Amino acid sequence: MDYLSIIVLIFSPLIAAALLFSSFFKHNEVRIRRFSKGFASLHFLYTILFLVFFNPLKDGISYYKEITFFGSDWIQPLGLKMAFGLDGLSLLMVILTSFIFLLALIASKSNIKSKHKFYYSMIFLLQTAVLGVFCARDMFLFFMFWELELVPMYFLIGQWGDKKAKASAMKFVLYTFFGSLFMLLGILLLHFYNFATYGNLTGDFSQIAISTPEFPMFMQIVISILLLIGFAVKMPIVPLHTWLPDAHVDAPTPVSMILAAILLKMGAFGIIRFNMQLLPEAFKLIAPVLVIFAIVNIIYTALVAYSQTDLKKIVAYSSISNMGIVLLGLCSLNLIGFSGAVFQMIAHGVISAGLFMLVGIIYIRTKTREIIELGGLGAVMPRLMGFGLILSLAAVGLPLLVGFVGEFLVFLGAFNSDLDIKIYTGLAIFILVLSAAYMLRLLHKTFWANIFEKWQGIKDITNHEFVVLFALILVVGFFGVFPMAIIEIVQPVLTNILQFLQI
Amino acid sequence: MDFLQNITNIMLPEMTIVAFILLQIILSMFLDMKFYKLAKWLTVLGIFLATSLCTKVQIEPIYYGFKNAIISDNYTIFFKGLILISSFLIVFLTKKTISSRRNSAFQFNALILTVILGALTLVSANDFLTMFISMETLGFAMFFLIAFDKGFKSKEATFKYLIISAVASSIFLFGVSYLYGITGHLNFSLIYEYFLEKNPTLLYSMAAIFITCGLTFKLGVIPFANWILDIYEDASTSVVTLLSIVPKVAMFGILARLLVFPLSYSFELTFVLVLIAVVTAIWANVLAIRQKNIKRLLACSSSANAAYVLFTVSLVSVFNLSTVLFYLVAYIFMNIGVFAAVIILESSEFSNKLYEFKNFAYTNPVFTLCFATCILGLAGFPITAGFISKIYLFSAIARSGLVFLPFLIVLMITIVVSVYYYLRVVKFMFEKSDTVESEVIAYKTSSAIVILYCCAAITVVLGIFPSKIIELCQLMAYNI
Repeated sequence: MDYLSIIVLIFSPLIAAALLFSSFFKHNEVRIRRFSKGFASLHFLYTILFLVFFNPLKDGISYYKEITFFGSDWIQPLGLKMAFGLDGLSLLMVILTSFIFLLALIASKSNIKSKHKFYYSMIFLLQTAVLGVFCARDMFLFFMFWELELVPMYFLIGQWGDKKAKASAMKFVLYTFFGSLFMLLGILLLHFYNFATYGNLTGDFSQIAISTPEFPMFMQIVISILLLIGFAVKMPIVPLHTWLPDAHVDAPTPVSMILAAILLKMGAFGIIRFNMQLLPEAFKLIAPVLVIFAIVNIIYTALVAYSQTDLKKIVAYSSISNMGIVLLGLCSLNLIGFSGAVFQMIAHGVISAGLFMLVGIIYIRTKTREIIELGGLGAVMPRLMGFGLILSLAAVGLPLLVGFVGEFLVFLGAFNSDLDIKIYTGLAIFILVLSAAYMLRLLHKTFWANIFEKWQGIKDITNHEFVVLFALILVVGFFGVFPMAIIEIVQPVLTNILQFLQI
Repeated sequence: MDFLQNITNIMLPEMTIVAFILLQIILSMFLDMKFYKLAKWLTVLGIFLATSLCTKVQIEPIYYGFKNAIISDNYTIFFKGLILISSFLIVFLTKKTISSRRNSAFQFNALILTVILGALTLVSANDFLTMFISMETLGFAMFFLIAFDKGFKSKEATFKYLIISAVASSIFLFGVSYLYGITGHLNFSLIYEYFLEKNPTLLYSMAAIFITCGLTFKLGVIPFANWILDIYEDASTSVVTLLSIVPKVAMFGILARLLVFPLSYSFELTFVLVLIAVVTAIWANVLAIRQKNIKRLLACSSSANAAYVLFTVSLVSVFNLSTVLFYLVAYIFMNIGVFAAVIILESSEFSNKLYEFKNFAYTNPVFTLCFATCILGLAGFPITAGFISKIYLFSAIARSGLVFLPFLIVLMITIVVSVYYYLRVVKFMFEKSDTVESEVIAYKTSSAIVILYCCAAITVVLGIFPSKIIELCQLMAYNI
């Protein structure tokens, strides 16, 4: 197992980015693209190896590694280490990241027409940042990668997006920065109170988790809320969600895929890492309030999604709605709900990536996303319609597809919750109707009905696009039938959290 | 012979600078205009000699020279090193300023050395009189440097600077006179010891507030901050670089000493300073949003950064002081980098308007990368020194007590605002435009380019590997 280095896993995309940015690569579009895709494939295979040698039943963190600089830690005076490690949850997210980035790179061919060097190096920089967030074992390291992700995202949305993309990118950065400063404050307080209680300066997750029960309860709640603001922006939770539709609509298709599939999951991941693992008691008190936010998230954004006319906005709002389901699962405080939430994170990652791909394919060919101007595309694009049908049904929650498992587990967990949130859950179940409404509306208005004269000559999907969609469909189908494959990996982490919650 | 012994023990760097000032002035009388390049190299040599002589200065145990008027310890030598290294970098940026007035090259360099001399004695002052004299040495040299550029604008700028400086100095002296009236001493240590036995009165707090308000002028924070925009815009850029770093660093050095020793008994002062810092952060960051000129924007940015540091300095503790030292180190390099980029642009005939930065990313990728690194560092993005220094600074504020948390939250929100205007600079550089002609930057100012690259590299290295520098800062802070 020694040859599997987590350092290579995280920083090899950075090296690829540096290579692509350097003058070693000339402005040759084809070579840059092939190198990127080849590299991403290798990276994906490498992450699969991590899965193969991973022992999910073993408690704790595997592949733990620290980087030292000339014999001293990252920021030794503050006791901060550059430490990385994988538990079940991070492993899942790492594999999802590598997978989605590979597909996004394949999808980039038809979407990115200029500044290739810069684009591909930014994508790889983003990959390093995201992997760093998922693998970090130190709070400040987590925060560093969390912030680092903003830089490539700013360029990716702003440089290759639509007309208003620069404003949207700025909005995205400012919102996230706003949230993450509160998060930083929470982290600093955690760091300081750990020092005040135990007298050792550290940012290590497992050590902080030991000392947090000793904090004053008031401080635990304050820290928890501060951290939650940061994650709520990213996730997003409703009052802080307005950056997301803009960013999604203006970003190019591959970036939208990454944004929906991975970056939103970082918010949920942060809640599990910080609020649940580090501050379980405070989370227990906050959870009943968060449920209300989750319900508003689910129902309100689903209604908004139904009223949209822009295809991408429908998918964007449905993403927010789905993240509400994740939040509901996390607030149910039992194993079924947690498993459902994590499963929904993966499921939504795959499905939303597919849906954004679908919208992107339509947009490239028709140059419009307005639902009124489309219609009857199924006649000229039968293969796309097939994929679209499966993906939307998965999003709606058809049994035997991933969407069903996630939603079902979450609602089951919420009903059985000790928090007595049955009424709220009953409300949330309406999402099944609402999501069917907006998804089938999307399908109906684009693929069925009468076709306009101007869309007659449109070509069906290319091989590149076929590969992307087919890979996603495979995942959607496989884990819909074998959900335990995902849940088993992540279960030790979740049971561990539950043990802390039951204190 | 006590006097000479003091000089050989602790004043060698200053004396070197004095010698080179005299040398420059004498040479300016004899040498022809065509030797103007010699002036710069003499300055470089002088600073280099002074820096190397810093190692000869006696610091252990703490040395009080000239009847306790000058102090020499780890802390002062750290600041002296910082001032000398930053001015060493800045001297290389003066090429364009001098090229327009070659006949005054020697005077210009003599003035720069005078500023450095003032700063060096300022950080080692242990006496209000020494402090005032050093401040004025620094200030008077600065008046002439600001007026050095051709045209009436720089004269107007220097006049503004002069007037406000005079007001600030008089307020400072007013505060000092009260303190002298209460205690009968001007020496920091004696004032500190005086209050060990007697309770400080409200009058003492008032005097302390007046003294620090007088110092805010050089820091560029409210109440004496309004000069900063005009002077940054009108003065020559290399002078502005000097103005934004050397007086500020020296002033923070002495301010920390003041707050630790003679003014440490005033609780009101802490809250006044925190309030000043927060108000300045709001003022500067909001003002910067609408600025279209990079130099005006940087003026606001330097004012805002001074506010963050002032916040931490005012909450006196050893840990806070170490964060301040690290912040200053990081800030110096990022700021010099940004100003070097501005100087490179100026010498390739760009005006300082932000919209002229369009297309840069495609015509000058390496320059843009370094410039953007420094700007993003100021904004506080990761893998730059700015990120680490901000985290470190805020960790100090966060542990200073829950009372300051609301202020810290306000400060953080203003930082979100600052991200907006820093990113705007980067945004313009990556924007494609057909209307704006963006030529490839003529590599006329090779020294400025080297400085820019070095500063960008240091910014990144400090961002990845800050451990050793932070340890150094902690060591220095424990030894004040």
